[in-house]
Amino acid sequence: MKTILCAVLAVVFSSVTLLPAQSTKTPDFTGVWGTFTAGRGGGGDPKLNPPPAGQLVLKPEYAKPYEARRAVEAEASKRGEQLATSGAQCIPYGVPTMMSVAVYPVEMIQTAKQLTIISEAFSEVRRVYLDRPQAAIDDVAPGYYGRSVGRWDGDTLVVDTIGIKPSVSGYRGMPHSEQMRITERFKLLTPDVMHDQITIDDPVVLEKPMVYTLAYKRLPNYEMVEFVCDNNREYVDEHGVVRMKVKDK
Amino acid sequence: MKSRLLNVLAAAIALAIPVLAHHSFTMFDTTKQITITGTVTEFQWTNPHSYIEIDVPDESGAVKHWSIEMGSPSILQQSGWKFSSLKKGDKTTLVINPLKTGLAGGFLNTATLPNGRMLGNGPGRGPQK
Repeated sequence: MKTILCAVLAVVFSSVTLLPAQSTKTPDFTGVWGTFTAGRGGGGDPKLNPPPAGQLVLKPEYAKPYEARRAVEAEASKRGEQLATSGAQCIPYGVPTMMSVAVYPVEMIQTAKQLTIISEAFSEVRRVYLDRPQAAIDDVAPGYYGRSVGRWDGDTLVVDTIGIKPSVSGYRGMPHSEQMRITERFKLLTPDVMHDQITIDDPVVLEKPMVYTLAYKRLPNYEMVEFVCDNNREYVDEHGVVRMKVKDK
Repeated sequence: MKSRLLNVLAAAIALAIPVLAHHSFTMFDTTKQITITGTVTEFQWTNPHSYIEIDVPDESGAVKHWSIEMGSPSILQQSGWKFSSLKKGDKTTLVINPLKTGLAGGFLNTATLPNGRMLGNGPGRGPQK
């Protein structure tokens, strides 16, 4: 009897000692995530809202044309016109903009070796490798999604992305060079609320890194909707203004 | 109170704002709403936008064709729309913001389906499901 009691206590004790190991288990981001503060899954505890975005500080030679472009866009908007954007022409947003397109959700599929992120808008896909080192910037062909690798910092997944081509619009249309490096910190604040803190660093274009945070709320049972941009009836006219085609009869 | 409200607004502006999915709506005159009633010639359940193509007779019987832009299927389903909500030949009444150019096009606010059900155009635009 005493032997049995000792055995039971041993099992209980070993279970208890296992708990700390379980609590440090890396989180699983698998699931569909919607915008936390607006649209699907909106509302919630305001304490879980993302912190305010940092300030975008461009080097003077990039700030002047950027501000001039913003002013031209604002003037066009006052006239009731929108100047051409990549989105209006159904060109994908790429990293990091695809992480927050209107109220469209993102789906995350996580395995031990890879985190795959799919944005519903434009069906964009990015892959984050979790089992290998990052390459040198000069070895990555510039593209929309670049090359992303991730590593665990406790309960936070730190994702490093390089290789985004300069024509892919950055935060609020900011310019960037091929030297841009994006660091994201994915973290679960609760089992159903996730933050993605995005730091954009570009020694060529930025005076200091630009930091902003996106907040997501889990959308249980949501089925991603197909998004193939095959009926784009917006076009850009000879003045660079976005127009809508109508079917005149 | 006013300054508190301004602070809240400033904080909201400082948050990262999602980029527009496709385009802004400045091409539509959102200060005007017009109502058109007619017969659906095509319901396009497509991306980046869905469209209702509709023939609208005037008082003299002359028919004018309109192209009405809607949200994407993902957005529309949040207002209760399905790919089969409208079909060719259906009679429907649409409330729209017309194009500023004066061409026969607009942006949907609400649609009244043949069964009398009224649907909006996604979150913040008309009745929700």
